[in-house]
Amino acid sequence: MSTISTQLRSFKEPTKDQLTQLSFSIPSSLTDRADKDGLEKMEINAVLSLSAEAEEDSYAGKLHLFPPFLSFASLDRKSCRFTLPLCTIRRVERLNARAGIYALSLSLWHGMKIIVQLTSLRPTADLFCSMLRDALKAELQHGQMKAVRSFVKTCYSETLVASTGPLVDEELEEKTPLEGEEGSRGTDIPYHVGLGLKFKFPGDPKKLREASKVKLWTTYLKTHGRNLTLLRYPQCTRLVQVGLPNRLRGEMWEVLSGSLYLRFSYPGMYQQILKENEGRTSTSTEDIEKDLHRSLPEYSAYQSEEGISALRRVLQAYSFKNPELGYCQAMNILAAALLIYMSEEQAFWLLEVICDRLLPGYYSTSMHGTLLDQRVFESLVQKCLPIIHDHFQVVDVQLSVASLPWFLSLFINSMPMVFACRIIDCFFCMGPKVLFQVGLAILKINGEELLKIQDDGGFIQLMRSYFSSLGNSAHPHSADPRARAITRFQELLLVSFREFAIITDDTIYNERRKYRNDIIFSIESFSKRAAVRNLSTLERFTKEQAGLVYDALYRAMCIVPPPAPVAKPAPSLIGDGSEEKPETRIGLRTFRIFLSEIATWARDEKVIINGIQQRVERDVAEHEFIDRLFYFWDVSCKGALSFQDLVSGLDGVMFNDLMENIEWFFNLHDKNKDGFLTKDEVLQLSESLLFIFRFEVGDAYLGAVSRFMTNAFEYGDALLPQPEDKRESDDVPPSDIGHNQPYLNLATFRMVVLADEILESFFETDLSACFKLEPVPMMDLPSSHNGFLGDLISNIATDDNKKLFNRFTDRIGQTIGRHQVIHRPAIGKYTKLDEPKARESLLIPSMRQSPTSPSTSSLATTARAPSPSNASTSNLSAAETLVQPPDISPLNMVKNANEALMERPQFAIDDALDDDTDDELGGEDDGVMDEVDAFLEAHDSGLTEEQRELAKGKSFSDQ
Amino acid sequence: MAESGSGTADKSVQVKLVLLGEAAVGKSSIVLRFVSNEFQANKEPTIGAAFLTQKCRLEDRVLRYEIWDTAGQERFHSLAPMYYRNAQAAVVVYDVTKASSLEKAKSWVKELQRQANPNIVIALAGNKLDLVQPSASSSGATSTPESEDEADDATATPGEAAAAGDQPESLRQVPRDEAEAYAKEAGLLFFETSAKTGDGVVEIFTEIAKKIPIEHILASSRGTGRPGAAGRTGGAQEGGVNLEENAAKSKDACNC
Repeated sequence: MSTISTQLRSFKEPTKDQLTQLSFSIPSSLTDRADKDGLEKMEINAVLSLSAEAEEDSYAGKLHLFPPFLSFASLDRKSCRFTLPLCTIRRVERLNARAGIYALSLSLWHGMKIIVQLTSLRPTADLFCSMLRDALKAELQHGQMKAVRSFVKTCYSETLVASTGPLVDEELEEKTPLEGEEGSRGTDIPYHVGLGLKFKFPGDPKKLREASKVKLWTTYLKTHGRNLTLLRYPQCTRLVQVGLPNRLRGEMWEVLSGSLYLRFSYPGMYQQILKENEGRTSTSTEDIEKDLHRSLPEYSAYQSEEGISALRRVLQAYSFKNPELGYCQAMNILAAALLIYMSEEQAFWLLEVICDRLLPGYYSTSMHGTLLDQRVFESLVQKCLPIIHDHFQVVDVQLSVASLPWFLSLFINSMPMVFACRIIDCFFCMGPKVLFQVGLAILKINGEELLKIQDDGGFIQLMRSYFSSLGNSAHPHSADPRARAITRFQELLLVSFREFAIITDDTIYNERRKYRNDIIFSIESFSKRAAVRNLSTLERFTKEQAGLVYDALYRAMCIVPPPAPVAKPAPSLIGDGSEEKPETRIGLRTFRIFLSEIATWARDEKVIINGIQQRVERDVAEHEFIDRLFYFWDVSCKGALSFQDLVSGLDGVMFNDLMENIEWFFNLHDKNKDGFLTKDEVLQLSESLLFIFRFEVGDAYLGAVSRFMTNAFEYGDALLPQPEDKRESDDVPPSDIGHNQPYLNLATFRMVVLADEILESFFETDLSACFKLEPVPMMDLPSSHNGFLGDLISNIATDDNKKLFNRFTDRIGQTIGRHQVIHRPAIGKYTKLDEPKARESLLIPSMRQSPTSPSTSSLATTARAPSPSNASTSNLSAAETLVQPPDISPLNMVKNANEALMERPQFAIDDALDDDTDDELGGEDDGVMDEVDAFLEAHDSGLTEEQRELAKGKSFSDQ
Repeated sequence: MAESGSGTADKSVQVKLVLLGEAAVGKSSIVLRFVSNEFQANKEPTIGAAFLTQKCRLEDRVLRYEIWDTAGQERFHSLAPMYYRNAQAAVVVYDVTKASSLEKAKSWVKELQRQANPNIVIALAGNKLDLVQPSASSSGATSTPESEDEADDATATPGEAAAAGDQPESLRQVPRDEAEAYAKEAGLLFFETSAKTGDGVVEIFTEIAKKIPIEHILASSRGTGRPGAAGRTGGAQEGGVNLEENAAKSKDACNC
């Protein structure tokens, strides 16, 4: 039982536009909404200044309109930036300043005014203004402006700033040591709070200098906006780096990460998800239950029902919101940490931002994001700390054994909570690069010790003791008391942000791009091995062969992903205690592609030779026979096949001998499994045979099938109890009794098959041999250095180019008369058309005349110029000489062959046939014409030899 | 590492051991019981893998187990090779009250036998025995010093027999016979354990200790040359060898 996911291959690099948007923490779901309203995005050069008397600098940068957001970033992309929901803009004024200056004054909800001077050319600025106006109007219509008032009340910063200066001090003096008091105040707090308010925050507030931090932030928030309108000036980043005050932390995490915008835009969604899914269980909810009591169990809230159930709700809600991801261990620790500082709803949205944007793919079922970032981290260590990297290589220590949990649980599991929180502060403020910077700094600081370690265990222990000493002085022996006061944690941050400032968002982005394919490849080959290993039975295949089946399946899944991704536990799960482990199953469309990789008759292969190149074009065949096989293999009747079904199904045919194959083929067409084929089923069976034989050279197979039909009906009729029944079929073709009633049993079928040498040999060896397990050319994963997107594009481009080139060479080939298309036959046994003879014993004497059908003889005599590719109309000039009509539905072929074989109209079935299915099986003329062309091509040279014997077998030499 | 490098530990042999098994079968609890003889109902889940060490005395030798206790959730599966590479021993844990966990255990065994160190000693442990045993029998089983696999059998079976028909036994989904037969067939050591009561836990580690080619590890770690020829228990050898080389090398490294 396993799931097979091709999801990783569908990864698309974000566009530049999307990247910019991501850098502003703007959720794409919100801008998509505006996209639908026809609001466009735009960017413009601008200079930002605060109108207040504040002596802040002005910053030149870019102003972006991402409806419903307006955002700005200074040129260095970090000093100064903001992301404002448009609904917080209360007023926009064009400033009547000196000529040549185009400036807007924006009044924001919190009363600040900012001035943006648009420094692009005037028409651009005008355009920008009109688009801004449109976007603002749309927001007004959506009623978002009104929502702001009630929303900001849920933010602690409002309360903090509202209480005037002295009061804040007072409040803090008295509250900080006795935080517990707050909890009893309980329900009338308008703003969202975390568990910490009731159960105390980790760390000593005095030591954390909470009071002074709060004071600094209060001042900053007053002048630079807060929650929805926060402007991030350099001071803001500095304040974050010294650690957020506990009570403001939750809100600031929301603001800095951008999850605030989600909470603002989807009010009530969290509660709604919980309500809609109440009582529902899934693998995720089970996993969550297991971990609830082991998520920061030392924190008092998680020893109480209150904390546990909050944690349960948040994790469950997220698993319902994102069922594909569900729940991953480590998220519990993350959520538990978040809930100390923020409400459930806040934590829910922040979790969404973390899983979706900040740590993409970290917690997914393949954990590819985690693996990728570990690879990136290793590469950064190699670049920045080569000595350590080399030493690790020598002693065979894997970095990830220690670093994986750092990234996966944002250090919460590795460091004391107070320190981990400070890293998380920076992480939300400055992005995922922080994890890498801190990771590198940890290694650098411990460099000397690390060079002494000899194995994974030593590495882990060293890290452990380092983390437990983070609160100690970094320079305990320094004479300078100020130096002594620096803790090892401060030292860590200092090294992280000073020495590893070179690690930028771009570095991470590029490194991820570089290694993504490696990771995808290794995950894929890992899951292949696991899938093969987990087969409940390999049947008669070797592991390698099963691997080839897997490859074909995987390739098919890449082309046509299974209809319903199994990883998505649909709402159908509601109520049923625990579902089965999800298992990948493919639908019919995917199956066709899968089969075309394995069975030679399940694909249309054309060899095209045009004098310049020779190539093979392959298409997936579609035929009822393939569909029948699909349902035949679907033993559990799920309408979809698993890997195991495919392996077992193939096993059912690939190892068969003659008798087994005949029986297999019979059963395949015996839909109701009553041991009898109906007349219809006999016809279907013949069609299946014709389908398999459609590209075989010459008429041998055609003849065989028609003989088969004649015999089948003859014997079927003979063995039928009521003789009048068979006459029924004389009347009207697709009708009445005989067609769907038991008609032919296995013994008769076997007899009829064995009456024919060709069919016998087909069932003896060819049928099984048509299934070939060959290495599947894997879908190209773009080479790594160019990056995924670049390669994807270049791939498409080269694909197109290839087609262009092909068409071009075809045309040349046509003009120089060397173009030919040969359909590759599925069996390809009879390349020489020495007609195998039908066995006389069972047949009427007239049968003995081997197929000197008019069509074949005319074929042989027609020497003609090479035809253009793909037959069709231009081809007809040549085809005119053929007696055989261009419409060659299988049944028609039978009919023709039949007529050719014997002038023996005694079987009404012939007539019945062409009425029956002429139309529905049309449209194959192209292929047949190609075949004719190819045939003629091949005979261009050897005509004299051909003419030797017109009536009988022609030798087909396809050198 | 430092201690094993120093003089006191000349007789201690490092053995890397990895614990695998489905989520929440009690891998971490088994380790905790072995390492600190505790049972905690609330155990922090393992992110990737937890690392613990414990010494184990065997005759005149001291084994120092380096235990990698891996995360059981399915999606962490692809990380497991990182932890079981170079391991000399593995304990694959299942839950006797959950049939599917034995299936998972079998698939781990298969994977180990194919992918891990070829000489790895694998033990199969059916945990949560306390849930299917009447509480009385547990005390008897723990105190019995067991020298052989079979001895383990002998002590455990009576308790179980007594329990048969009792309420607790109905919780059992994996019959001891079935699991044991499988273990025998696959060439594994077999135990039923209870991390809660301590039943059978220490035995796992002592039996593994007996089966590990200690002499070999010791010999190679004392030797000076690269023990590549031996080909077995590569991790320990390298570690050991490098210990000696290290003294000189690390100084050099520090200077540059």
